[in-house]
Amino acid sequence: MKRTLVMLIVVMTMSSLAASAGSISGKVSGVTGESVVYVEAVGEKTFPAPTDQPVVDQKGLMFTPHIVAVQQGTTVQFLNSDKVAHNVFWISVSGNKKLGHNLGTWPQGEKRPFKFDNPGAIPLLCNVHPEMSGYIVVSPTPYFVVTDKSGSYKIDNVPDGSYNVTAWHEGAKNSSKPVTVAGEGKADFTLSK
Amino acid sequence: MRCRSLMFGLSVWLLIFFLLSASSLAIPAFSRQYGTSCTTCHIDFPKLNDFGKAFKDAGFKFPKDDESFLKVPPVMLGAPAQKELWPHTVFPGTIPGLPPIGLRYNQFFQYTPASANNYTPAGSTTSPNVPRTDFEAGFFSIFMAGNFGSDIAFWVDDDLSVSGANANGGLGDGYLKFVNLSRFLKLPTDSLSLRVGQFELDLPFTQARSINISPYDIYTEANIGVASQQNVNNVFAMQDAAQGVELSGGHLYGGYHYSLAIVNQNTSGSAAAPPNVASPGGFFSDSNYKDVYARFSYRFNLEKDPTSRHDIQAAGAMGPRDHTYLNLGTFYFGGRSVQRFNGIDTSDNATVITAREPFYRLGGDFSFNYRTFNLFGLYMYGHDNDLLLNSGATGFTPGPAAKFNGGFLEADYLMLPWVMGILRYDRVQSSADFLNQAGSLNYFSPIGGTRNRVTPGVQFLIHSNIKASFEYAIRPQQALAYDANGKPLNPFRTNTATAALEFVY
Repeated sequence: MKRTLVMLIVVMTMSSLAASAGSISGKVSGVTGESVVYVEAVGEKTFPAPTDQPVVDQKGLMFTPHIVAVQQGTTVQFLNSDKVAHNVFWISVSGNKKLGHNLGTWPQGEKRPFKFDNPGAIPLLCNVHPEMSGYIVVSPTPYFVVTDKSGSYKIDNVPDGSYNVTAWHEGAKNSSKPVTVAGEGKADFTLSK
Repeated sequence: MRCRSLMFGLSVWLLIFFLLSASSLAIPAFSRQYGTSCTTCHIDFPKLNDFGKAFKDAGFKFPKDDESFLKVPPVMLGAPAQKELWPHTVFPGTIPGLPPIGLRYNQFFQYTPASANNYTPAGSTTSPNVPRTDFEAGFFSIFMAGNFGSDIAFWVDDDLSVSGANANGGLGDGYLKFVNLSRFLKLPTDSLSLRVGQFELDLPFTQARSINISPYDIYTEANIGVASQQNVNNVFAMQDAAQGVELSGGHLYGGYHYSLAIVNQNTSGSAAAPPNVASPGGFFSDSNYKDVYARFSYRFNLEKDPTSRHDIQAAGAMGPRDHTYLNLGTFYFGGRSVQRFNGIDTSDNATVITAREPFYRLGGDFSFNYRTFNLFGLYMYGHDNDLLLNSGATGFTPGPAAKFNGGFLEADYLMLPWVMGILRYDRVQSSADFLNQAGSLNYFSPIGGTRNRVTPGVQFLIHSNIKASFEYAIRPQQALAYDANGKPLNPFRTNTATAALEFVY
């Protein structure tokens, strides 16, 4: 009897959780290639920094991948796979030049970490190869995604509620719109440069 | 007569300024192949940064792991496995995946202050004058360079048109370079390479690929003896392209570097001098004798960290940068100047007799670099033996050698990644030049045996392939006439402000 009661409580709790975790999907249009879509805030809730450390590689005089989206507080590892010297720097985070930073120089095969505590878009540059371009988009919440090349996206496991969702694309103006998630939310964006 | 002299002087001056001025080249073909900016290899094109020097040393390719950087794969002229079949097959090579063609165009505007009026005699309405302002079309050049695989590099550049005319252009450099032949001889890496063709001598500071609008005066200096006193008439100048072979080794970005070239004698200043007769094979040269050019330099990279010191670029706190370095070098050119005279043979018959006058150019140079500041200079001494026709015109007797010396000192400061400030001092000391020119009414007629020139300049990269350059040449004092005591009448300086706009693509 006692065991049945516990099982019932567990099932009900899981059902309840499943019902409150929805998704946001849609399409970013008006631009070509990958974009980043993220939920700006979930009330006053804060989120612990992820332990995963994504890697941005410098290979063949390119930042790879070109666009990386991470949650605020994530540490990104910058790897140099080239047999030439590189460096990584950014002059601003979403236009805030006080948050500019230069990681210096490091040899092939080594990584240099940096923790991104401020949300926003960070244009990555290399001071010896000015054609090199990459972006890190720091989302304030764990609810973000890099769209596919057609602009389609889906953010899973978003709690039910009402949020502001923002779409970012390289060189375009950000676009935000309110979205209500009740199991499933929809938000399409049309960006312009 | 005066009119003709002035026209001649003007022509010489224009030649010096435009035809002999720096044929500066950068290589957009490499940008295309590697998908990278000009500034990967150049500070202020065509001036190379340390990476560009390493790229050049390696035979126009990335010094390490070149294939991984190529955005346009090369075309295979044979499967790599064909190497195993050699010598029973042609050794496989490659050609660039894109035609390795770059183009360049530049144009000039010049302003000459009021001193230009010294050439217009008062009251004269017919004499030519030096224009106060003048637009000039410059070069339209094509240049091609790359690597054929197996460490065989190539370079060809040609001026398709000069000063707006399509007939005045000519071949600049055209050569094949077999890089790192040392690997076949089990010598240290890059200690021996071979270059064959037509090329600028391995000068301490390139003239053909200089950032300056006007050439270094010492590089353009020919050694012409004092008329009626000396027989030296050697038109060779260090900036002349040479035809021959060159062995070289070492690196330009650190450590030792040497070159040893054997080149055609070129005392007439051109490849095919009028007195020459083409050989049946169609080759031209002043004589069978070959000139020799040798250079040795050592560059001390001054970073404390040994890893950084030995890398191609130094590891700065704010990213890779050029090394702080001191480069010391020396160079020598030795040859024989050839002149032919109408003389008498032992049977008292008229014949042509030949004077072969040994000459040499010897010099030293330094270059110091700290971050984006580069101070460099060169000193050169020129010496030509003189042979005077004897009284019977049957041979020659030694006369006083013709000598000159001089050099330059230049400071380049990259104030911003797109703004280069330049201050340059040129000096040439040749009493023969003064004696030959004094009172000749030639445009360039210096007072005294020493010609000093100070040339400040500034250059702006509008894009990394478009450049606006300005320089103001404070020229040597000169005069067109002298009084009975040899005192110059109305001495003046023909300072010139020159602007250039050039682009490569």
